[in-house]
Amino acid sequence: MPTVPILMPQLGESIAEATVIRLGVAVGDSVKTDQEIIEVETNKAVMGVTTLCNGVVSEIRAVEGVSYSVGSLLGMLEVTEEEVARTGVDTTESLEAKKDQQPEDKSGDEEANLHFALDGDSYEEDPSIIPSVKGLPVPTGVMGAHYISPRMRARMNDMGLREADISAIAGTGAGGRVTVEDLERFLDYLDAWPSAAASPMRLAVADAMRRSWTRPLATVGLPVLLDEALNHRRLQNPKPGLTLYLLRAFALALKEQPMNAGYLIGEKVVHPRSFDIGVAVQVEDGVVVPTMREVDRKTLSELISDYDDLVDRARRRRLTENDSAGGIATVTNFGTFGLTSGTPIPLPNETLILGIGAGRKKPVWSDQVEAFVPATEAELILTFDHRVVDGGGAGMLLNRVAELLQQPQKL
Amino acid sequence: MSVTYIDAIREAQETLLREDPRVFLYGQDISAFGGAFKATKGLADAFPNRVFDCPISEDAMIGLAVGAAIEGMRPIIEMQFADFSSIAFNQIVNQAATHFYRTGMPIPITVRLPSGGTPGSGPFHSQSMEGIYAQYPGLVVVTPATVSDAYHMLIDSVKLDDPVLYCEHKFLYRWLKSKKINGEHLPIGKARIARPGKHATVVTYSAMVHEAVRAADRLQADGWEIEVVDLRSVKPLDLDTVLASVARTGRLLALGEAFPWGGVTAEVVAKVTEEGFHLLDAPPQRLNARDTPVPYHPKLWAAHRPTPESICEALRKLLSF
Amino acid sequence: MSADGEFLRSVFKSMLRGRILENKLSSLYKAGKIVGGVYLGKGQEAVSASLGASLVQGKDCFAPLIRDQAGRTAFGEPLIDCTRTYLGSVEGPMKGRDGNIHRGRPEMGMPAMISHLGAQVPLIAGMLFAKRLKGTLDGCVGATSVGDGATSTGAFHEGLNLAAVEHLPLVIVVANNQFAYSTPNTRQFACEDLVDRAKGYGVGGHSVDGTDLLACASVIGGAVRLAREGGGPQMVVANLLRLGGHGEHDDGSYVPDSERNGKYGRDCIEVAIRQLAEGGIATVEEMAVWQDEISEEVQRAVAQAQQEPLPDPYKENWTALSTRFPISAE
Repeated sequence: MPTVPILMPQLGESIAEATVIRLGVAVGDSVKTDQEIIEVETNKAVMGVTTLCNGVVSEIRAVEGVSYSVGSLLGMLEVTEEEVARTGVDTTESLEAKKDQQPEDKSGDEEANLHFALDGDSYEEDPSIIPSVKGLPVPTGVMGAHYISPRMRARMNDMGLREADISAIAGTGAGGRVTVEDLERFLDYLDAWPSAAASPMRLAVADAMRRSWTRPLATVGLPVLLDEALNHRRLQNPKPGLTLYLLRAFALALKEQPMNAGYLIGEKVVHPRSFDIGVAVQVEDGVVVPTMREVDRKTLSELISDYDDLVDRARRRRLTENDSAGGIATVTNFGTFGLTSGTPIPLPNETLILGIGAGRKKPVWSDQVEAFVPATEAELILTFDHRVVDGGGAGMLLNRVAELLQQPQKL
Repeated sequence: MSVTYIDAIREAQETLLREDPRVFLYGQDISAFGGAFKATKGLADAFPNRVFDCPISEDAMIGLAVGAAIEGMRPIIEMQFADFSSIAFNQIVNQAATHFYRTGMPIPITVRLPSGGTPGSGPFHSQSMEGIYAQYPGLVVVTPATVSDAYHMLIDSVKLDDPVLYCEHKFLYRWLKSKKINGEHLPIGKARIARPGKHATVVTYSAMVHEAVRAADRLQADGWEIEVVDLRSVKPLDLDTVLASVARTGRLLALGEAFPWGGVTAEVVAKVTEEGFHLLDAPPQRLNARDTPVPYHPKLWAAHRPTPESICEALRKLLSF
Repeated sequence: MSADGEFLRSVFKSMLRGRILENKLSSLYKAGKIVGGVYLGKGQEAVSASLGASLVQGKDCFAPLIRDQAGRTAFGEPLIDCTRTYLGSVEGPMKGRDGNIHRGRPEMGMPAMISHLGAQVPLIAGMLFAKRLKGTLDGCVGATSVGDGATSTGAFHEGLNLAAVEHLPLVIVVANNQFAYSTPNTRQFACEDLVDRAKGYGVGGHSVDGTDLLACASVIGGAVRLAREGGGPQMVVANLLRLGGHGEHDDGSYVPDSERNGKYGRDCIEVAIRQLAEGGIATVEEMAVWQDEISEEVQRAVAQAQQEPLPDPYKENWTALSTRFPISAE
């Protein structure tokens, strides 16, 4: 026969428990629906606990004078199946099936103020209930190191790190971003490697290159024969360096096609005011770029003393800020290191850099003698900011430079 | 022998009545009956003519308290439920809160607000009003989460010269117990670290401190160490302690039981973002109740407020950023 | 001069002070010297001053409302408090933080009103309640004024009911001036006479013609006496007509001529002058001298307040709390 539990009812909001003051029935008594069988007292009033259906008392658990929390089992009724169907009461079995439990009194297992008795089962959320938590704005479509949190930014600033510095770190955050923990782990890992402080010069070059590298740079190249220039040079006294020939050719070519030296800022292109061109000079642990003034207006021989003075002061680290300011483009002769080719990077405030590789003897077909003759050929390399200059413009410029180099008397 | 949260509230009032003749209690059903939650049980007998039943007139109760404070008294007003203080809203925010700024005379009243949800209490016996009152200048709003704080912060509230909304959580009344009331305590306006951690900070107060600690315990199994900051008072808000915690962890979840629009959690996030932007390694998050009235049925109620499950969920998202 | 005569002379002087000061405020307002509103008690001086003069400063408490300049003066508020507050002087009791009629001196038993009508009723009850707890209530009275409009608020009801339950010596004077801003009584309440409500609250009820000084002094003075002697709360309904607009920005054009020319349309000051002269309490010449003296007083109060510094936002103490946080741990 089904059993129906007699539970301590919720006798009012805020009532947690009640005291049994009188038991009106004993085991074996028959009870009727809505009969008051147990008298209980709360903070607010004395009330009767009633039965929900007809039945026979099969068990009494409650003891007079004892307090029970709401939902406690006070006793049990035996009830016929028909009576259960008639009244729709919950039986012990149906309650078990529903698992719709009352909050359990957990006042006994309090630990150090930490928990209150939110019974785990009673308040377990249904899996179908989505917590009222929204997703975080994960930087989708942006890869790895490109998303930098405010804390990462602050930590990087603290340490003088740049985005380039953290590009070596595999991020574990959302979208592969580098978290602060990733950074700290990486730094800890690097601690095991030998290291030394970078020189101010190294840092200055690094900074300039990093800033320049934020632009879309493209590089084109063209072989040029240097024999005319070298022959011309042999006849001069004092002798101008090859760099000066290149410098002069570049200045004249730019004067003819000045739009190539324009500098893009916002929606504006800034054009050259005068044809001042920098020269890359290798110094200890870095490169400096002093500026040669008005290269278009001076002859090769006039440029020699300017050049020698600047290079000398550059190597002795005696350049003033003004010496390096105001250039519109740079020339670099990496051929002096024996290199034949390269991809020079323009200064961050310039659009162009022209480089030249080392000259090499090559057989070149001569129409005059109808045979291969030896010639000196070098690679001219131009790197440009593709926002300003296109391949066509760069090609025309480079061709013009090559042309001028082969007419050294015009330089 | 242990002390419950509501015992602490009762004992604090007993101490105050015994030690300060300016203190009296005024509220509905609080005298011989001892209050709807028995927070004043036995006090009317122990202190004749100091504990008064009043008509169901929340506006007039606070009006009377302000008048009595002008005359030098330190009344403690019991709102039967925080929800009913909406009737007294005008007297609280316009009379009591503006008085010091306008006249130079502070109003030392303490309004006890039985706050927060309990299963089956429904829309009008479950509200958390702290954010609303904290918005008004001239009010102090405290939200004790422990038995000791329930005791000491009530005493400190009455000692304060300014009006205090003392938000006591009904859920903690009888379930939260402690071996004893600690002698040492922090002043109003200082937060405490309820649980130390290093991977994320949960800033919360009142009953949600315990839910946050439960969530943190669960995440511990996965190796996450979650720091829980108990604000103790939401106004003033101890930003220093919050920022110090976020500096340790880089991740913030502001957790509250009140409704989600604005409120204490929004204030915490705004303040941390303003003053600690550089400390954040992830977007600061908020978790509150849902944007509906507090539902009656325990099943709905349990999914309306933040639970250890939803707090874990929020923290996992925060930690995965 | 009998004690009654002295009382009437003092009430009348407060009426005059109120009227003359308010006329001055009106002209300052029209000259653009006052920021914010100006709310006058023109036509209500006999009621207000009778109440204020029946109270004893230092013992009783009084929560005035917006048309109580005469009553404030009678209770002992110096004129300079009024001019300083209206003109924004930093020397005033509100220091520019609140203006016009929202001023008070709670420490002298006169709390500062808030704009929410009826709110001062439980507040005064609380002051009296505290006096009872302190054992200083004997022989004290607390009084507050409201208008017909405030009787519709929950605060009025809650406060008066509470005062009755606590059996406090509270006197509420309802200046039934027929209009709450522009709303006539027909849209404010449906009972035949507001005084009938007294019975419902279990408080003493009294009616008086608010334009009649002798009646006001007697009825309001009597109600205060009853409360003082332990008779519990008293409600006096003083019937009269507001002789201006709601404020000086309002010409009150909605008040029909029938009201202006009706029973309560007369000016209580003119009535008072006639009554005092006919009763041999003051001569017309004497009263003219008072008028001149008070005009001088008012002029001085205005001049002084105008010369005082205005609040400085850079020196303002921008805090609404008296407690300095953080509090250091013990």
